[in-house]
Amino acid sequence: MEVSMRSNHVKLIRVVDLLKEKALNGLIIYSDGLSSLLRPAYLHYFSEFKPLGPRNAVVLDRSGNIALIVQPAWDGPRASQKTWIPDVRGSSQFLKDLTKTVEEFHLQGPVGVVGMREMKEEVYLGLKKKIELRPADEIIEEMVREKGEKELALVRKASRIADIGAKAFLDYARVGIREYELVAEMEYAMRSAGADDIFLLLSSGRHNREMHEPTDRRLEKGDIVIGEITPGVNGQFIQLCRTVVLGKVNPVLVEKYEILIHALDESLKEIRSGASASSITIAMNRVIGEAGYAKYCAPPYMRSRGHGFAVGSIAPGGEIDDKMKVNLEKHQVIAVHPNQYIPETGYLACGETILVTDTGAERLSGIETKLYESA
Amino acid sequence: METMQPVLKNGRNVWDRVNMPEAEFCDRLNKIRKTMKRENLDLLLLYGNGYDDYGNYSYLSNYVIRLARGALVVLPIKGEPALIFEGASRGIPSVRKTTWIQEIRAGGDASKESVKFLEEKKWVPSTVGLIGVKSQMPYDQREFLRDSLRGSRLLDVDPLLREMRMVKSSREIDQVRRAGRILSRALAVLSETFFPEVNEKTMEGTLYREARIEGAEDFRVMISKPKRDQGTFSPPEEGTLLSGETVVLYLAVEFERYWSEAIRTLIVKDNGLVPVERQDLNERYKKIIELLEPGKAASQFCKEVQTQIRKEKAELLPTYGLGQGIGLSPREYPILSKDDKTPLKEGMCLTVRFIVKDEALGAAMTGNTLLLTRKGPEILT
Repeated sequence: MEVSMRSNHVKLIRVVDLLKEKALNGLIIYSDGLSSLLRPAYLHYFSEFKPLGPRNAVVLDRSGNIALIVQPAWDGPRASQKTWIPDVRGSSQFLKDLTKTVEEFHLQGPVGVVGMREMKEEVYLGLKKKIELRPADEIIEEMVREKGEKELALVRKASRIADIGAKAFLDYARVGIREYELVAEMEYAMRSAGADDIFLLLSSGRHNREMHEPTDRRLEKGDIVIGEITPGVNGQFIQLCRTVVLGKVNPVLVEKYEILIHALDESLKEIRSGASASSITIAMNRVIGEAGYAKYCAPPYMRSRGHGFAVGSIAPGGEIDDKMKVNLEKHQVIAVHPNQYIPETGYLACGETILVTDTGAERLSGIETKLYESA
Repeated sequence: METMQPVLKNGRNVWDRVNMPEAEFCDRLNKIRKTMKRENLDLLLLYGNGYDDYGNYSYLSNYVIRLARGALVVLPIKGEPALIFEGASRGIPSVRKTTWIQEIRAGGDASKESVKFLEEKKWVPSTVGLIGVKSQMPYDQREFLRDSLRGSRLLDVDPLLREMRMVKSSREIDQVRRAGRILSRALAVLSETFFPEVNEKTMEGTLYREARIEGAEDFRVMISKPKRDQGTFSPPEEGTLLSGETVVLYLAVEFERYWSEAIRTLIVKDNGLVPVERQDLNERYKKIIELLEPGKAASQFCKEVQTQIRKEKAELLPTYGLGQGIGLSPREYPILSKDDKTPLKEGMCLTVRFIVKDEALGAAMTGNTLLLTRKGPEILT
């Protein structure tokens, strides 16, 4: 580096290089503080601080001047503890503090903005008056590709917690419990194990149509209970899709679930770094189609065959499909789930999250994907 | 108070028509239309986004989006309203279970879907009132809306609904009361629980479990340890709480769309968490909330609180604000600050927080959700 950086953090060095490559004078990484399973958390990834307020931004220039502005102001000490960015500014007048920092860093001309779609009008227009805004999400997307031990440790920790959640699902899915009580037990198990965020959908009944948030319904004998169990740790989510039958399993259900297991296995065989992402869904849809359900391989009978999971990116994408033109990369974390409505059985949940390696898919769950039976 | 937002509202998702019958929404519809007529509005778009700011569209529809997405109600001065949410159309049957509105549309972008719908209905060009659009809609969606409805007269009319939402109906008050009961129950269970090792995550898990079992739709926990970490609130993390340590808990719960919050100070003792009973803190808090009176401006209340505290030679730590309205959002109007001149009214649900420095505890904090009645405040938590 020619300039004296305000921090020697590897992310800052990398981002400054990328700014130069893209002829940008600076970068603003913005967050509205909302979490979404299928939206990358760019500011969280870059700063290593998960914001809670409605307006937060990292501002940096090509010389390595960098500041993290967080709202509410009282969240500043927490931000300072979490982030590697030395200059943290708690703010109660966000736009004023943001534009002041832009001026302080002498940002002019084209400035990249990551997370621009999270901006509301006041911030967007306020910045637009000062600088030329250029969408620049790809800067973080490029950085995220380089996964280290720290990220992989997080993946494994979230996987262990997902197994704990799946075990609670299988243990507590019993006749008489209400759907929302089942969620309470699963959430307790996963939070106590270290999850800091959880996404849980389920459904119960003889013939389910979709997974949804829990209702008052009490589980009954003969129910098929389906669940999408997704704990998160520090922004990294892992998803397991499981099905349990309360009582004796109908042979038709066994037969149909086997189709989904086969579809999952076949799709996992396609996974390795360099392979086409679409090969996952092509393999999955082929198995389901050959079983006579080709016309059900589209919404509303299924939603998504798979998607990526990582703090700073959801590559290869938020919805993997047959037409996707991207290749898988080493250490991508992908949820693969042939969750499917079948007319004879209703909607069934079957899937897990894997790690892409050079030699294939590494299954991250220790809880087998199969049709479970509960007394 | 700001809290860490979840990735999904995981809790119980129902519309209890006994607690909140359709008649309640008919009353609201009539009230809003009367105001629309007064303001010469042909249409109203009531928009909200995310986990906390759903009140504008939920006030009329009862629906709440469970993800970090937007939704809105399109209300014509005459005719049936429509609910538009960001999500897949396969979610419509589930959405239908929690709203009385028949016309439901789904799409990837609330703004684009709205324009499509308005054009299809031939409801534009017209005079369109916008609520929540300026402050909550992502700028690119707002730009699209503005560009697409160029022939219409667009007016930001946020205060129109703010007034209505501030004063709660008796059914709304009951919902806030129910939410308050969940908090009381969760705190009671926490103080009865024996922990082999008191750590933040197990404590959080216990609170979540109890709140969910009691029907919490959404639940938030923040923790402060005044003897260390500068005593600011954070989401619970992995870490042991030491015996004798002061723990301040901020809890907020959403029950059937309505929020309530409470703050309590506890001490780690004998593998458990024991509530701190400080008579002086309770008395001071009581004196403060007694200053809440219908007719008084929110700013005047703040001024009087400051005078009261000075008189007692106590120290007010205003970091988190004195409080604000609560209901369909954990933070709504009025704001109990020196700048908000909104007159306090009977039927408002408010939060009031109070924190004092304390040599032994580091700090002690208390907070409740209150109902403002003719006779003064009633504590709901």
